[in-house]
Formats: sequence, structure tokens, C-alpha cells
Amino acid sequence: MAEILQYIHKDGFFHRLAPFTKIVFIIVISLMCIVSINLAFLAFLVIAILVLAYFCGLHKEILQQSKLILVMSLVFIVITIITMPNGEVLGYLIPPGIPLIGGSIPITQGALEIGLILTFRFMVLIFAFQLFLLSTQPRDLVHTLERMKMPIDYILMFIIALRFIPTLQIEGTRIHEAQLARGYNPGTGFIGKIRSVAPIVIPLVSNALLRSNVLGLTIDMRGYRIGKRTRVHESTLQQRDFGVLLVMVAASCGYIALLSNQVI
Amino acid sequence: MIELKNFSYTYPRTAQAALDHLSLPVEKGRCVLVTGPSGAGKTTLCLAAAGILFHEYGGKKEGLVTVDGRDVSSFATLSEVAKTIGIVFDDAEAQLIFTTVKEEILSALEYRGLEEKVIDERFDSIVATTYLTELLNRSPHHLSGGQKQRVALAATLSLGNDVLILDEPTAELDEHATRRIVDILTALKAQGKTILLIEHKYEHFRNMADTLVVLEQGSVSAMGPPDEVLRDERIRKVVIPDFSGIRDMKTEGGIKNDAPEVVGVRHLSYAYGETLALDNVSLAIRAGEFVAIVGENGSGKTTLVKHFNRLLSPTSGDVIIRGKNTRSATITDLAHDVGLVFQNPDHMFFADTVQEEIGFGLKNLNIPDGDRIIDAALQEVGLLHTKDLYPRWLSRGERQRLAIACVIAMAPSIIVLDEPTTGLDGNEARLVMEILKGLQNEGHTIIVITHNREIAQNCADRIIAMEKGSVISDIFAREALHG
Repeated sequence: MAEILQYIHKDGFFHRLAPFTKIVFIIVISLMCIVSINLAFLAFLVIAILVLAYFCGLHKEILQQSKLILVMSLVFIVITIITMPNGEVLGYLIPPGIPLIGGSIPITQGALEIGLILTFRFMVLIFAFQLFLLSTQPRDLVHTLERMKMPIDYILMFIIALRFIPTLQIEGTRIHEAQLARGYNPGTGFIGKIRSVAPIVIPLVSNALLRSNVLGLTIDMRGYRIGKRTRVHESTLQQRDFGVLLVMVAASCGYIALLSNQVI
Repeated sequence: MIELKNFSYTYPRTAQAALDHLSLPVEKGRCVLVTGPSGAGKTTLCLAAAGILFHEYGGKKEGLVTVDGRDVSSFATLSEVAKTIGIVFDDAEAQLIFTTVKEEILSALEYRGLEEKVIDERFDSIVATTYLTELLNRSPHHLSGGQKQRVALAATLSLGNDVLILDEPTAELDEHATRRIVDILTALKAQGKTILLIEHKYEHFRNMADTLVVLEQGSVSAMGPPDEVLRDERIRKVVIPDFSGIRDMKTEGGIKNDAPEVVGVRHLSYAYGETLALDNVSLAIRAGEFVAIVGENGSGKTTLVKHFNRLLSPTSGDVIIRGKNTRSATITDLAHDVGLVFQNPDHMFFADTVQEEIGFGLKNLNIPDGDRIIDAALQEVGLLHTKDLYPRWLSRGERQRLAIACVIAMAPSIIVLDEPTTGLDGNEARLVMEILKGLQNEGHTIIVITHNREIAQNCADRIIAMEKGSVISDIFAREALHG
């Protein structure tokens, strides 16, 4: 089963970086892609991250979710075409040949551009976060966030939310199988689909709630919230981290220069 | 040491006390094994002894619980209590917080205020004690149930406490994994740990238990050295499950040769990705047989039975159910013939009442006369009185029986059960097996997956043993018992 957003034990370049460096990387990349509205630059960022993933040996894992990303992208583009018509008309979503409704939703250049910008931003964010989470052990992340003065309860919440994604996936499959064995037939049509969710979601949520009780007690009984921690095998910033941080600073300066000269 | 002195507890919004004037000393370096039917208050006892009841639960408390002479309610927080007591719960999955075994153990160690060198030493010794050396870089979802439980135990040991409380650590585990836990706990006891252990599997732990406590309806009904306690015939029956006499003479020599074949497996192979889970399995099961499929975790038992109603389709080979090749049938079609009860009944309950829960399957298969069938199914499993209750309020054993009722209401001729006695106490397990025997007598074909040899040999007529995806033996149970 494909495991979403789980740490993978490997020895790649990104794995060897300190979590702090990776957090800076994520922040810089996110800001760049959120601020930029230049299509070419965003496309460059997408490609750059994929190339980076390839060199870190994580490209397969990152592309695992490409089907979902493709569907989301299409949804973005269709929504902007419908809601934000702007500029030259390039064609129609419903071909003009169809009687009555034909030619009613124009595909405009402006809308297409905004759709693509959103899509690329979405890709950059998803890929960058995946790269970060797949290569960082949760324990290292806890340490770094703790040092960055984030409250331990919030850190644990974040880590646990990620940790239980595969558990819920597996549990969901088991529940689905158990219901199929009882002749469960996922409904047809919109209402049918909504109704057919109950036999799967109710056991899933009920079991998760029960589990969260034990989980909460475990956290207390292991003393994670008391605070005084001995720092063992903790990652410190190495030469390569300083290298990457320097590249990040340079990239940020370059980016600001290009932005202020209205190149991108 | 831990001591409960005349302790009573009633959960919020309930009338009956879960623990009733309980007095129980757990002396330093001793192992106290608590057993008893489900609903007797065993888990509540764990929560009381670990101080959790005082810090996390409301409800009415009377009497005293002390740890090393100090009242547990006097600790400021639960984390303070945790400096003296370590607890392991039955749900192993919920106790794993990090994504590798190493992180899990190391993280727990780091919060003790120890020197780095001491942490390294303790880490190595814990990993060796719990046999986890090979698994350090694995993530929780790549571990078996037994391995997960060992990691949870290792993380608890990291705390370095001398008092350990374990709530049914082996409930979901097979024979091999249970023995591992027994070995670990025996070693820990030898190291001087004080252990309060809740368990149904008394026989596995008989050599390490100093005191056996039998808990029934919230009170101690027997306490003392195991041999003494077990002298009482009634108590003995509560502690040690007895499956004798379930199989009868009629079918134990095999059923008549002219009975039609209902399950035909021909050269079946199945691969999950690149792992071959079933390797050229062939077998035939006739109508009216009671078959047990035995084998360790990962031997392919569940993968095999999932082919019977096409939850899985063969990679190669065929499965024929009552003359129909599963390749050309739908899961819903096959649900008329094959009822499959999974290991954990909680994976299926979603309705508001027991009655509606059973009605779900009937509606799916368009079976008329629902009310009468529901009553009959509930009668069969002895749950008629729970008809209007919320399914999740039932006890573990009752939920298992409800899962069986859900399936028998759909009237499949073949009933397959995956580990039907997991997590049940002896009496409940026997009750489930008696129900299955009754269904066989009514003409159903029963196929039970179990890692409990006792059940296989005493209840089934035929035992199929699997190992690494292949059938390694297929014999009459009578021969297994005497040979």
C-alpha cells in the first residue's frame, strides 16, 4: 500500500540535511511560489524540485500521488475558467455545436493563466512538503521545532496526525472488506454515494476515537510533556547545511532583485 | 509496590460499581496475574493501579491506591505518577507515536534526564531484552501485532520504572508472539521488576506468576498461589478454558463421502506485489464439514479465505464455490453462499441498534421477512435481549457473537471465521465454539482460522495446517489429538 507522507529510511542528500535547513528550504520555496505570478518561474520551480527529488532518490515516492495532483489541477483550471473569465476567448468548455447550452462557458486566456498559476503553486507546495516529510524523522522534527520554541503539545499533535495516516488507510481497507463481505454495495448517484459512506466512516471514526484515548494516556505515561530532555544523537548543522542555507539566501536575494525589477 | 486498599470505583453515569471494595497488594519484585471474565473490571483495575482513574476520569472513588506507600491521587499530574509506574495497554498500535522503532524507544529514554552515555547503554539493553535489534528502522505499519506490542513494551521499559502494569498484552497475538512476550516478562521479573499482569492466557504465564487473582464482577473471588487457587473446580473453569466435548462422534471421522464439494481450491497462487502469499494451494471442503485452518501469522490463512468470497482474486489457479468459479461471480453474489466474519468485529458495526446492524446485510441481499430472521439469528447466538442496544456497548464476547449473527442472518451455507476467539475469555470462547458447532449441526459448513491448537483439536473435525503460503498437512482432528 502506498504510504502517504511517511518518513522513508534512506541515505540521500536531503536525508542528511538538518531539519532546520529543510524548514528554511520549505519556507523560502513556499514564499517564492505564493508571491510569484510568473508562469515560467513557477514551472521552473516545479521542475527544479522534481530534479532535486531525483537526486535525493525520492522521485518515485513523490510522483506516487501524481494522479491525485492531476485531478486537483484539472479541478482548479475548470473552476477558474468558470468563475474568472478574463481576456481573449480561446474556445468553449461546451462546444458550440451542442444545441441550447453550446458555447456557454468561454475558455479565456486570463482564466487559463490563473488556473495554471494555482496548479503550479499547488504542485510546488505539495512536492516540497513531501520531500521534507519523507526525508525527516519525526523525532528530529520534534527536536527542531522544540528548539524553535514551538509548544510540545502542538508538535505532538502534528506528528501524530501524520503518523496515523497509514493506520487509518489500512483500517479503512479492512472495514471496507468487512462490509463488502456483508453484501455492502456502494450506492450509485450522488445521494447513494453519500449514504454509502456511513458503513465505512462510522466504524473508522469510532475506532479512531477509542484509539486516541489510549494514545493520549500513552503520551502522558511516557512523560513526553514534562519537558526536561537529554539531547541525544541530535542533528547539528553541518557544512552541507550551511551550503544549502547559503544557496537559499542567495536565491532569496536573486528572487527579490528579479521581483523588484519586474522580470518575474 | 502497588497496593489497593478497600478500593471501589463507579464510572460516571453508571449505577453499578466497576470495582467493589477491592484489596490487592502487589509486592516488590513479584508478579501478580489477574484474570477473569470480560466485564469483570480488569482494565479498570489497571487504570486504578496506574493512577489514571484519579487523574483522567471522573466517577466515584472510595478507598485508597498507593504506589511505594504514597497515595496516587496525591501526585500533581499523571506524568509524575509515570516516573514510578510504566503501563502497556492492549492496543499496541495506539502506543506507537513515532515512525521508526528506534525513535520510539529513544524518545521515551530522552525524557528521563539521563546522561547521554547512560541513554545509549540503556537503549542497547532494552533492545536486546525485547528482541528488537533487527527491527530498529522499521515503521509501525510494517510490524506484526506481536512486534508492535514488543515496541510498546520497550518504550515503556525506557522509562526505567520498577513497577510495570500490562493490560492483556497478548490478547491479539498468536502462539509464537505470545511466547516471546512470556520470555521477555520472565526476564524482566528476574531483573527485579514488580509486575501486575492482566491476562486471559493463564497457562502461558503460570511459571512466572507468584499470585493468581480471579476477578469477577468487580471483586476478588480468589487470590493466592496459583496451585492453591486452581484447586477450586469452579475457579479453575473460569481461569483455564475448556473446549473438550464440543466435537461429536457424528462427524469426527469425516463426513459422508457423497457430500458435495462446496469449496474447491485448485492450484491457487496469490502474490501481493512481489511477495508470494499463497503458493499452489489445492484443497476441497465438503458440505457440512467443520474445518480449522491453523498456522502462524503470515502463513497465508487469511489470504486464502479472502478468495472464498472474492475479496481477492487468484493470481493463478481457481476457486470454485458451490460449483461457481469466483472469477465470474461478484462479491455480492458470493455473499449469499459465503459469510466471512473478520477477526475484529469493530470493523463492521455502524448502526444504532443491534437489530439494524443485522438488518444491513439482509437489505443488501434483498432478503425478505427481516424481523423474523433477525430474531432467529439473535436467538441462535444468545443475544435476543440486546436487540435494541447500541452494538458498541456490548462486551467484546457479545460483539463477536453479534458479528456471527450478522453473518448467519444472511443464511450463507459456508461460514468462515477469522480468529473468532481473539480477545475473548475462556467461557466466551467456548460459547462461540458451541454456537459454531450448532450451526454445523444445522447443515452449515464451518471454516475457522485459528492459531489456538486447543480449539482446533477439540472443536473441528479436520485440521488444515499452513506454513509460508502452502498447506503442510491436512488431517482429521481426532488423529491430531491422539497422535
